[in-house]
Amino acid sequence: MSLEQPNRRDFIKGIGTVAAASALGAGFLLKSCSTDKTRVLLPSFLDTAPDGRVLKAGLIGCGGRGTGAAINYLDAGPGLEITALGDVFQDRIDRCRTYLKDQKNVEVADQKCFVGFDAYQKVIESDVDIVILATPPFFRPSHFEAAVRARKHVFMEKPVAIDPVGARSVMASARMADAAGLKVVAGTQRRHQRDYLTAYEHIKSGVIGDIVAANCYWNQPQLWFVNRQPNWSDMEAMLRDWVNWTWLSGDHIVEQHVHNYDVISWFKGKHPVKAVGFGARHRRPTGDQYDFFSVDFEYDDSTHLHSMCRQIDNCANNVSEHIVGTKGTSNCHNLIRDHKGEQIWTYQYPLDENGNPSEQLMKNPFEQEMVNLVAAIRNNTPLNQAEECAMSTLVGIMGRISAYTGKEVTMEEMMNSSLRLGPETLEFGIVNIPATSPVPGA
Amino acid sequence: MLYGFFIGVLFIIFSGKVMDYTSTDQFCMSCHVHPHAEENWHLSTHYDNKSGIVVHCVQCHLPPHGSLAHFSAKAKTGLRDAYAMVFKDTEKINWEAKRQLEAALKHTYEESCISCHQNLFPLQLSQEGMHAHLYYEENRHDLNCLNCHLHVGHFSEVAHKKIDFGFERTETEAAVVHEKAAEVNAFATFTETIPGTSVSFRMLPIAGGQFTLGSPAGEPGRLESEGPQREVELSPFFMSEIQVSWDMYLAFFRETMSEGRSDASIGLSVRQVDGVDAISGPTPPWGSPDQGWGWGDRPAITMTYHAAETFCQWLSQKTGKNYRLPTEAEWEFAARGGTTTPYFFEGSPKRFSSQTFRNRIFGADTTIINSYVIYEANSMARTQSPQTVRSNPFGLKNMLGNVWEFCSDFYVEDAYASYPEKMAVKNPTGPSTGSERVVRGGSFRSDAYELRAATRSHTRHNDWLRTDPQIPKSIWWYSDVTDVGFRVVMDWQPFEKE
Repeated sequence: MSLEQPNRRDFIKGIGTVAAASALGAGFLLKSCSTDKTRVLLPSFLDTAPDGRVLKAGLIGCGGRGTGAAINYLDAGPGLEITALGDVFQDRIDRCRTYLKDQKNVEVADQKCFVGFDAYQKVIESDVDIVILATPPFFRPSHFEAAVRARKHVFMEKPVAIDPVGARSVMASARMADAAGLKVVAGTQRRHQRDYLTAYEHIKSGVIGDIVAANCYWNQPQLWFVNRQPNWSDMEAMLRDWVNWTWLSGDHIVEQHVHNYDVISWFKGKHPVKAVGFGARHRRPTGDQYDFFSVDFEYDDSTHLHSMCRQIDNCANNVSEHIVGTKGTSNCHNLIRDHKGEQIWTYQYPLDENGNPSEQLMKNPFEQEMVNLVAAIRNNTPLNQAEECAMSTLVGIMGRISAYTGKEVTMEEMMNSSLRLGPETLEFGIVNIPATSPVPGA
Repeated sequence: MLYGFFIGVLFIIFSGKVMDYTSTDQFCMSCHVHPHAEENWHLSTHYDNKSGIVVHCVQCHLPPHGSLAHFSAKAKTGLRDAYAMVFKDTEKINWEAKRQLEAALKHTYEESCISCHQNLFPLQLSQEGMHAHLYYEENRHDLNCLNCHLHVGHFSEVAHKKIDFGFERTETEAAVVHEKAAEVNAFATFTETIPGTSVSFRMLPIAGGQFTLGSPAGEPGRLESEGPQREVELSPFFMSEIQVSWDMYLAFFRETMSEGRSDASIGLSVRQVDGVDAISGPTPPWGSPDQGWGWGDRPAITMTYHAAETFCQWLSQKTGKNYRLPTEAEWEFAARGGTTTPYFFEGSPKRFSSQTFRNRIFGADTTIINSYVIYEANSMARTQSPQTVRSNPFGLKNMLGNVWEFCSDFYVEDAYASYPEKMAVKNPTGPSTGSERVVRGGSFRSDAYELRAATRSHTRHNDWLRTDPQIPKSIWWYSDVTDVGFRVVMDWQPFEKE
């Protein structure tokens, strides 16, 4: 059978083969599925990126996730370098630089470290092939556009926008990237997990029939916050506390929950057309965000997705997806049941180093997505996740706006909305955004 | 048999050559004698560009080469053009009209645009272009390349003219700047002067009284919406002699223009500036709103209903009077000028229309209508100065034709049915709610049937903004209508409403 083009009949016969092949990482699998909008190409699944010419990357946003992404990038294969750093804060650059030196013996030259709101432009212009965009998501649309115009391949963290204008900007830049043959990975790493991908292939082959309902969850304890220091301007205080400010993060329904929305859209093959949600703030010490959301989404076929997300300590936690088909159900990654509750498929994870069963993938997905990016660049295979991630981001934004306002919000409104959050000018000083949360029905 | 084979081969070679030859620019131009097509093609970006690429006639004006549609369209246009060449007087064809969007869509093929322009997102594309092309791809069924790129194949001065309203001075403005507004002490014609500008216009007294609104059942071309007829009584009012001109509208625009779009998108017409109420006016338009037809006393066009209303607020504030848009009843009363016939002059639509079978063959008798109305037959597909027509019995110009005029009533098809049957309704203002407004009078595009005093039509807000690439769409300028404007009225006695 052809590994490149599995069809339904082969698939049912060859489930074991595919699972084995992909678990071994032997096959270079390029799979495609179509959503209502675009052809989505699934990435290749190698354990390490193929060798090729040296690829220099610049990191924009040197916080915890940015530094982690830089390490993942360096680990992805041979001939990969980090040569430039950019951030608005000097201390972030210093810490990242030290860490790269300690962990990877990578030294970034002084003249390749840029501080300020225009640092991203300088990193892009510093003779790099790839940029890693890991700033708060507010900045993503403009940074992504600048990177694409400069012909850079991009790794960018999710979410890719915080408002409808930004999401559409990313969609347009994504099409520009496609036209220019650039490769883009968007930090929705479930798309780079073998368990998810294998479950997807099964479900696509019809094991649970048509998907008629879905749920997804991101319920976790409080995330983190940073109290304002006396010498900080409004801007500095907000940036250092960004996961608590809607204009910077999109609120956690966008910032975190986008992962789950992305999975449901991927499996369902379409995006919801409207949303009615609610939420509130009870516990959060800083910022203007909500602590929880609950949103009912509806698709054009009248099926529903219900989603909930929460960031409060001492409550039931759950981060997962659940889809219901006409013939069975699945958690979208390692388990498929029929409607009697019998398991009809489970994902076989590799054994751990002691030979015991595990639930760990051989390659952690944060490394896998970098491997896939580099492989796509060096093999020149199609890979651009920007638009699908922008749509998933917009689903979260639609849910958020519905919860904030109490109104029904449609995807059509999102595609035509002029909503743009954040200050007009970016500088360290006063930011006229109060720390009060929206009141629905107001 | 062998002969047949050779003849077949020759036929194929020859017909291929014929196809090639008949697709050259020279061949097209040997018949296409309209004066400027070749010249402005040479000036356009499809001929004169830094890549040195020349786009030929058939590359836009036929479907893509090699498609079946290409051959059928080639045959069809070939026959049509040959017929026109032999039987029609090319001098009499309105080439200007053929350059407008509606006509251009018939002679240009979107597949052909796309077959060359395959990449809608080149790296050099501007941000506006990115958003516009995303919008296009997401709304493809509503949009055509030409909606935004009308003049790419044939250069147009208008499309490339830099719009700078601060310097858009017309002759009349060299005149005196008015210090104060007119004082009105009697119910008689007066000339309003807008303080701080050199703009003035005449306001005529309309005595009011009773009249029959709507058209009788037998009137040729009558629409359902024009009935049932109702008796209406109106208080006296003043009405502007002409449709609001560019001179008038630009005075408003210069004084109130909002910079950027933030003010306008709030959608408020009145804002506080330094403790004084100031009117916030239109944002700059995207193209030249006069369409290149000229400014001066030609009617202002393409403003939204909201913009027209804001103009009235501004004019009221400037002059200390109460200017507003006419109600539909006021408009029809004024348009009829005391008559009950289809037009305020003698004649029937059957006589004037170019649409009737008889008139198609023998030509319409246009002597009377021609002197009163700017319409499809004499407009050259554009607005014209009010100086070119005669007034109606009340002294008003362009009540019929030139541009449609906004009325303040919401449009409902059976609006008249809600007025009392037995007694006259006093100063009716139409339905209390609705989404579209009434427009009246027909335009330079209208045929005689549409130009009757009773003809009712309405705004089409979404259609008229279809190709506006901005989000949100402009509240000040329509993107997809060029024959709508307005005129103002002013109360004489306080407006009474029952």
